[in-house]
Amino acid sequence: MSLLVVEDLVKTYPGRRRTPPVEAVRGISFTVEAGEFFGLLGPNGAGKSTTLGCLNTLVRPTRGRILLDGVDLTRNPLEAKRKIAVVPQTRNLDRDLTVREVLTFHGRYFGLPAAERESRADRLLAELQIAEKAGAKPLTLSGGQQQRLMIARALMHDPKIVLLDEPTTGLDPQARRLLWETLGSLHRRGLTFILTTHYMEEADRLCQRLAIVDHGRILTLDTPAALKKGLPGGQILDLWLKAKAPLAPRLSGLQGVMKIEPVAVDGDGEGTERLRLFVDRTDGLLDRVLHALRDAGADLQHVSLTPPSLEDVYIHLTGKELRE
Amino acid sequence: MTAFLALLRRDLLVASRNAIPMVMATLTQPILVVLVFGNILPRLNLVAPEFRTVMVPGLMSITMMMAGVQGVLMPLVIDLSGSREVDERILAPISVLGVAFEKVVAGAIHAGLAGLLALPAMMLLMHRVGGVSVHPSWWALLPLIVVCGLLSAAFGLSLGTLVQPRFSGLLFAVVLGPLMLFGCAYYPWTGLSVLGVFQYVFLVNPLVFMSEAMRLAVTPDVPHMPVPLMLGGILGFTVVFTVFGARSFERKTIL
Repeated sequence: MSLLVVEDLVKTYPGRRRTPPVEAVRGISFTVEAGEFFGLLGPNGAGKSTTLGCLNTLVRPTRGRILLDGVDLTRNPLEAKRKIAVVPQTRNLDRDLTVREVLTFHGRYFGLPAAERESRADRLLAELQIAEKAGAKPLTLSGGQQQRLMIARALMHDPKIVLLDEPTTGLDPQARRLLWETLGSLHRRGLTFILTTHYMEEADRLCQRLAIVDHGRILTLDTPAALKKGLPGGQILDLWLKAKAPLAPRLSGLQGVMKIEPVAVDGDGEGTERLRLFVDRTDGLLDRVLHALRDAGADLQHVSLTPPSLEDVYIHLTGKELRE
Repeated sequence: MTAFLALLRRDLLVASRNAIPMVMATLTQPILVVLVFGNILPRLNLVAPEFRTVMVPGLMSITMMMAGVQGVLMPLVIDLSGSREVDERILAPISVLGVAFEKVVAGAIHAGLAGLLALPAMMLLMHRVGGVSVHPSWWALLPLIVVCGLLSAAFGLSLGTLVQPRFSGLLFAVVLGPLMLFGCAYYPWTGLSVLGVFQYVFLVNPLVFMSEAMRLAVTPDVPHMPVPLMLGGILGFTVVFTVFGARSFERKTIL
């Protein structure tokens, strides 16, 4: 049996006087196996954090069932909490304790005996490279260090599953890379993770399976490689242009063009369209496309030809870019 | 229970580190009131000397109320702020109501210690002036301090979860100020019989019962409210504020 089973999860936040109810999650189901690194990828407001909130007991589901290691989360939250660790989106470290006490008190809350508490705190401080800050107050740490302290805190009680809610948001690229390495090595040791993110690179790098979420639903769920493979054609040709007449009919007949999708362009690209061509790279493809554009009198402004990425999967599914 | 005790231990550790500012915050009010009303005004013959005796238990109850409310309210404001420090507690293997009740117990310890500290401080300031008749009976004082501490802290929990953090300053002016003036701290409740039925209107104020409890325990010469009414008031308000506060805490923490 899977370590985590989520069945038809629904969460509707009740409306207030002036705000209508919000259907944050509208029927999400998935399973996570022990030792897996599972990801929820989607834009802000897609329902990722609410889903994670339901998994960590801080959000009460409107409907649906969550089983963690055989324990029903809504029926037996106390038992479930012992198996869950949470690395939240906002840094919620206890500002009145020292870094080391943050860990030892977390251990106390979970009833760890003193010797184990102390040795585990020392080991995690060293492992997450914050040992030299052991006596400092958490708020004096850098963003990356605070994030690593939250991971150390999460690991104190030896959880079955670690829930990471956008762990690298707001970190500089170097701190982000260090955190990815840390998470990767913890995963290789057998820990199970669920990650929410809106960074494609992060999802691609860490997750073994990925659910792409939008408007409270899972659009697709597979390994990152399979998701990319699922796109038509082997390459993606993006065209940014200004055109007088619709171009799709002219381009779709060309040899090597598998599928054409318009992509929403935001911002100041006045009159500029973005056309996405899923193509098989055959000889003379670019030539044929450029010819067709010239014949149509289109003003081509920018071209890119790339192998498909997760972002392309996302655009293919939603018709829009995932803004970071 | 392990998690409950661990949370309590954490709160007491943090409080002990802030002991000096806490003692200052606790004792400033009673000391200044005693200096003015217990020392200066009697010497100017502007208040009756008996007033010194009357105000000692009242100031104890005010001190406890302030300490209990602040002991719960201030940490709660941080807990429920944008950083959501409270989630670390809620995610511990303890029910949300357990987390709320721990806050009440921690606040009650704070309030009880404040009351016990205020009494000798006031006596010390007035030991040279005569006419103060304070004789604490410890068998009554200690249990009453415990229940009054719980009442203060439960009140703090209700206020802290009810009022938005940015209005907490307003709270002290609009709620706690009137509460203290009409809390029978500076006059015994029994004396209010001169007001007729209005005497009973005062009973909506939880501080009245606390002041009368302290009056019973430390100034036996001053008449006090009947014990059943007093205990009923303290326990009733404690239960109401604890249940209401814990429910509203749960609503604020679990979405």
